Amino acid sequence: MTDNEERGGRDVLVTGMSVASGYGRGLDPLLAGVLAGTPAFAPVGRFDVSGRRVTVAAAMAGTPSLSEDLVFAVSVATGEAGLAAESLPDTPLLLAVHADPDQARIAPGRRWEWSAAALARGVARRSGLGDPLRVYTSACVAASTAVADAAALISLGRYDRLVVAAGYLVDADQFALFDAGRALATDGRVRPFSAGRTGLLLGDGVAAVVLESAAAARARGAEPLARLAGWGRAGDAYHVCQPRPDGTGMARAIGAALDRAGVPASEVGYVNAHGSGTAFSDVSETAALRLAGLGGTPLSSTKALHGQALEASGLLELVLTVAAVRAGQLPTNAGFLGPDEECALDLILDAPRPPKTPYALSLNAAFGGANTALLVEAL
Amino acid sequence: MRTLEVLAEVVWPADEKPTQIAGFVASSFSPLAAGAAERCLERYPREGLGRTAVVIVSTSGDLGTATGVATAVDAAKRVGPLLFFQSVPNAVAGHIAARWGLTGPVVSVCPLGEPLEDGLELAALLIEDGDADSALIVHVEQEPDSAQAVLVRGGEQL
Repeated sequence: MTDNEERGGRDVLVTGMSVASGYGRGLDPLLAGVLAGTPAFAPVGRFDVSGRRVTVAAAMAGTPSLSEDLVFAVSVATGEAGLAAESLPDTPLLLAVHADPDQARIAPGRRWEWSAAALARGVARRSGLGDPLRVYTSACVAASTAVADAAALISLGRYDRLVVAAGYLVDADQFALFDAGRALATDGRVRPFSAGRTGLLLGDGVAAVVLESAAAARARGAEPLARLAGWGRAGDAYHVCQPRPDGTGMARAIGAALDRAGVPASEVGYVNAHGSGTAFSDVSETAALRLAGLGGTPLSSTKALHGQALEASGLLELVLTVAAVRAGQLPTNAGFLGPDEECALDLILDAPRPPKTPYALSLNAAFGGANTALLVEAL
Repeated sequence: MRTLEVLAEVVWPADEKPTQIAGFVASSFSPLAAGAAERCLERYPREGLGRTAVVIVSTSGDLGTATGVATAVDAAKRVGPLLFFQSVPNAVAGHIAARWGLTGPVVSVCPLGEPLEDGLELAALLIEDGDADSALIVHVEQEPDSAQAVLVRGGEQL
């Protein structure tokens, strides 16, 4: 019996997952690119970036459709989980997205028809899933909050199985906003926790996971990929868009995840940090990691390679974290130029390292002082 | 499953313009959310807050900001830098949380059913799961403008 089961909660397993990123569709190109330390950033060709300070992003080729890619991701994840078609209608969807990208260009009076909820209903229907259960628009913690809530619902016994999907495709509006806000890296590289870091870069991300109770997975003979051992969500109560400098909000989210799992910080073998590569955020996250007892835990931010996928980042990074630990190679913290004494952590530099434990944390933070921590045990 | 106890609730008057918030421009979304939240929270002792979640519920989202950005982008004009900071519903949640010291989770959702019910359901989950003791749900819409806020805490375990 696991710690979670001993506490009265049901174990939550990941039995299927899929992803698309700036490296292309599928987990293999993402994992290969990240483990090779080759960034996916390239000049943006999807829309006009003339006049912008920064002109690169990690985007798939062509002009992909968010709804098409979400349906594809769900289909790959449910296929990998081995779910029979007849069980899909009993499996609700939790979706994390910004909104339908066309919403702002629809005539007033009809824009509600292009809401994120309408997108979720369409994706669920076309994927053969049951009615969507919830749609998250919480910026860069949207997907990780959806995973935490799905895990809670399964752990509490409300559902046996849920699909969590998330998507963001680099678009002209968000690109313009981030450029105007001077949030994008002016040197075309994301350098988390490094001296000389200049900001983030956007990246495509579409991902889906199948979460189910251990009993439900066992009953149908599913092969689990990982156990979602713990999860935590906490707020900074500090600022509209800046993280709390002392890191206490993120530290509480991490603490909640570890407590739920009954796993001490010393047992965590890897942290895939939020690591946005922005000056303030990386310092705050370092403080949080030290408060949580993770200052010496092997760590990297894979955003240095696949970019910031906004509402989808939490799921893209969770899938990548599970895949990397299962592959026995922890990704490097790419883009590193040299140490920043305010970000002194055990960064994985030069080459991937083998994990010392199966436990890995995936951290995300967002505007509004929102923080999430997801603890997985790779199986 | 836990019940919820309603501590305070407010419906923003349809004919009243919300007060502008420093740093937020061009859209009524965040001022409406902040105005409704403020009036709701004022009705409850501040020391009873703390690990309160902030849940923003909206079907329309911040259309004022989104259409402003789209218009500028389509005209190949520069986007105002302030729009960046208010471009997601979490931003005003952060404003509310910072003013009132609310350290629970910050979550924004687009409702699939009756909006307030969706928000209350999510609040109940966050409380039952243990990351919050109470929750402020703010339902805000544009086209037309409306806002309401409800403060709840965990009640009986059923």
